[in-house]
Amino acid sequence: MWTFIVRRLGLAALTLVGMSVVIFVLLRVAPGNIVDLIFQSAGYVDPAEKHRLTHELLLDRPIVAQYLQWAGRLLHGDLGTSYRYGLPAWQIVRPRIPVTVELATLALLVSLCVGLPTGIVSATRHNTAADYGLRLFSLAGLSLPAFWLGMVIILLLVRVFGWIPSMLYVPAAVDLRAHFLQFLFPALAAGYRSAALVNRITRSSMLEVLREDYVRTGWAKGLTGRAVIYRHALKNALLPVVTVIGTEFAFLIGGLVVTETVFNLPGVARYLVEAILWRDYPVVQNLVMIIAAVVVLSNLAVDLLYARLDPRVRYA
Amino acid sequence: MVRHASARRGLGTLLICVLVVSSAWAATTAPKTGGVLNAMHREDPPSLSIHEEATISTNWPMMPCYNNLVLFNPLRGQESQATITGELAERWAWQDGGTSLAFTLRKGVRWHDGRPFTSADVKYTFDLVRGAPEATAQLRLNPRKGWYAQVQVIEAADPYTVTFRLKRPQPSFLMLLASGYSPVYPAHIPAAELRTRCVGTGPFKLKEYRPGEFIEMVRNPDYFVRDRPYLDGIRFIIIKERGTRIAALQAGRLDVTMPQEGTKTAAEQLKRAVPKMVIFETSTNINDNILVNFKRPPFTDSRVRRAVSLAIDRRSYVQAVRQGGAVVGASMLPRPWGVWGLSPEDLAGLPGSGDPVTQKAEARQLLAEAGYGPDHPLRIVVSTRAIALYVDMATFVIDQLKQVGIDATLEQVESALWYAKLTRGEFELGANLTGIGVDDPDANFYENYVCGSSRNYSQYCNPEVDRMIDAQSQTLDQVKRRHLVAEIQRRLEIDGARPILAWDTDYSAMWPFVHNLIPHQSVYSYARFQEVWVDR
Repeated sequence: MWTFIVRRLGLAALTLVGMSVVIFVLLRVAPGNIVDLIFQSAGYVDPAEKHRLTHELLLDRPIVAQYLQWAGRLLHGDLGTSYRYGLPAWQIVRPRIPVTVELATLALLVSLCVGLPTGIVSATRHNTAADYGLRLFSLAGLSLPAFWLGMVIILLLVRVFGWIPSMLYVPAAVDLRAHFLQFLFPALAAGYRSAALVNRITRSSMLEVLREDYVRTGWAKGLTGRAVIYRHALKNALLPVVTVIGTEFAFLIGGLVVTETVFNLPGVARYLVEAILWRDYPVVQNLVMIIAAVVVLSNLAVDLLYARLDPRVRYA
Repeated sequence: MVRHASARRGLGTLLICVLVVSSAWAATTAPKTGGVLNAMHREDPPSLSIHEEATISTNWPMMPCYNNLVLFNPLRGQESQATITGELAERWAWQDGGTSLAFTLRKGVRWHDGRPFTSADVKYTFDLVRGAPEATAQLRLNPRKGWYAQVQVIEAADPYTVTFRLKRPQPSFLMLLASGYSPVYPAHIPAAELRTRCVGTGPFKLKEYRPGEFIEMVRNPDYFVRDRPYLDGIRFIIIKERGTRIAALQAGRLDVTMPQEGTKTAAEQLKRAVPKMVIFETSTNINDNILVNFKRPPFTDSRVRRAVSLAIDRRSYVQAVRQGGAVVGASMLPRPWGVWGLSPEDLAGLPGSGDPVTQKAEARQLLAEAGYGPDHPLRIVVSTRAIALYVDMATFVIDQLKQVGIDATLEQVESALWYAKLTRGEFELGANLTGIGVDDPDANFYENYVCGSSRNYSQYCNPEVDRMIDAQSQTLDQVKRRHLVAEIQRRLEIDGARPILAWDTDYSAMWPFVHNLIPHQSVYSYARFQEVWVDR
């Protein structure tokens, strides 16, 4: 198993190096750079001032030299300075990471709490009114854009209660109730889509397993429904669900842009988009690397979980 | 307590009365001290340095930190020479036939870090922004350098006297100094540092700026105006999503909107949802215009330029694109908001403002004379920024041009590249928005219309108009100057220098417990918050 982990970590490192090259090049291929944007906000362009600023930000150096400088700094733990704010990139990024991680975790919790039971019910009551209703529920979850859902939640809250959660981030240590309310609605909005996905996967996986011989044997032996479904069927149906959960978590870390924007949460995802729009290279590159690392590590975690869930899986 | 200033056509007088009554009401109710104002903000400012930016996103949260020499009276809705009041300057006087402006400064004023304010700070600031050879520092960006082109030298004879010596008379100079874009910077702090922090003399100190979240100001206890400010602080809450911003205002998480953020539709919805919400209708001093590239055929032909201007029906534009939330005007802000706007009679005679059927027929005739018609249609590209508001404008223009036989297509330009593209003249027609810092001819004409000016993207150059612009700039007689400015506006529209489609209206909303926050006809100059108080 350890050989497997070491090999996967080696592959992960290679993936991250490849990722760093891709993001570095893609950012520079995108039209415009921070200097263009600085002038855009000032509403004019002075070629001499522009040239001076480009030089000041070292953007006139060859792209390879720029890459090596960034990679070298990154290896030394230096994330550079944000072009836009003139502050160390880490200083801006650091407080945002817990916000996004918390929201992604809560959204995942929502998706598990809703998606798993509804998926099981759907599968065990296959082609009944309950199944149809839940299929509609999951299809809606996959179809409704998170942006729309978030906005509807906000508008309903303001319309019905004349209230919306705080627009400023409230740390849990300051006010737990306000903190909970601040995360509850975005977690519901973001978690609904994941819940729908988990529901679909659980349902199809369960349906497959419920047709297996050993399940029929269980029924024939006179086991209780609870024992057959939860002990024998669900455990074996969980493998694809775990895969989905792993990728969903990674997706949520980078994909909460819309939810964070609508609920005004100062998270990483929202900030990443703003940094891209501002071509704030140091911030974008480093954030993407962090997200890439999360994706790689969650995939590794899922692979390791397989062995725990299914004894037939062996790591070579 | 209704302070909703409604400005329907022909009701300018009523509007002024409402504003006067509201101002008087504000003045007669006893102000209360304390409380924190939660103000809307739509985005992070590009930087905190007002002198280096040209956006309300910087002025709105940073004006409370600074003072000007002079400022437009915050309690008067319409900015003009008559509403200028002293801030760091106790008094001022024109000398030498209008070529020198001498200021006597307040004594005992201190910067937020405790250092004394003197005339050296004034000289430093305005040498910096005019890019004087003797300036001890340089700005990274200097969007308003042109405002100070007539300054020959700034003399600080003693710590409390400063004199601006001009190359020629320029009565507007005081207007430019009264703009929210003209704060005095501390000479002892490097200008680059002011992009991320604020050391001013203003009524509020910067407590904390958390990018993407908020900008927090606290009361300056050592402020030089006694018993001001009333507020303990201001929290500018950054909310990127417009729908969320409005919901936050409605739910009471915000107390006031941000200038330039209120559309007519949103204001109407808000008023329906919260009838007690106070809505101020005023101008933004921002116009929607068409950039015509004078250097690129077919727009080197004056007939084609005029045909384009005639083809676009301004009144339909206001209704279709702005849902009525704009007014038709020429190159200066129209009445009743503006001081220099053309009369309705003058406006009616300008291209695009008359009978649309007749004007479109005239446009087709001009195009035919220039050699274009159904067999040989004029094919052009309308460029604009890839932002919904700009695209809406461009789409309308394309439709109007098609009605006179011009086959126009849309080019959406990545926002970051927009001004670079305009500066290089890489466009035929451009749908653009232009904000004017002060409702003043010098601020507008020298920035946008004189030969070779920094934002003259059309590359329009008419030496005769330049002479007229110089003449109005040095005319001390206000009546004469007004006539000259009106004539210049007519010439600019007839020449098709930059056809103005409309001037945008702003709908500022605030809860009734917010007092003394009176929106002006230009969004850039009323955010000092010195007089604002709340009574929750």
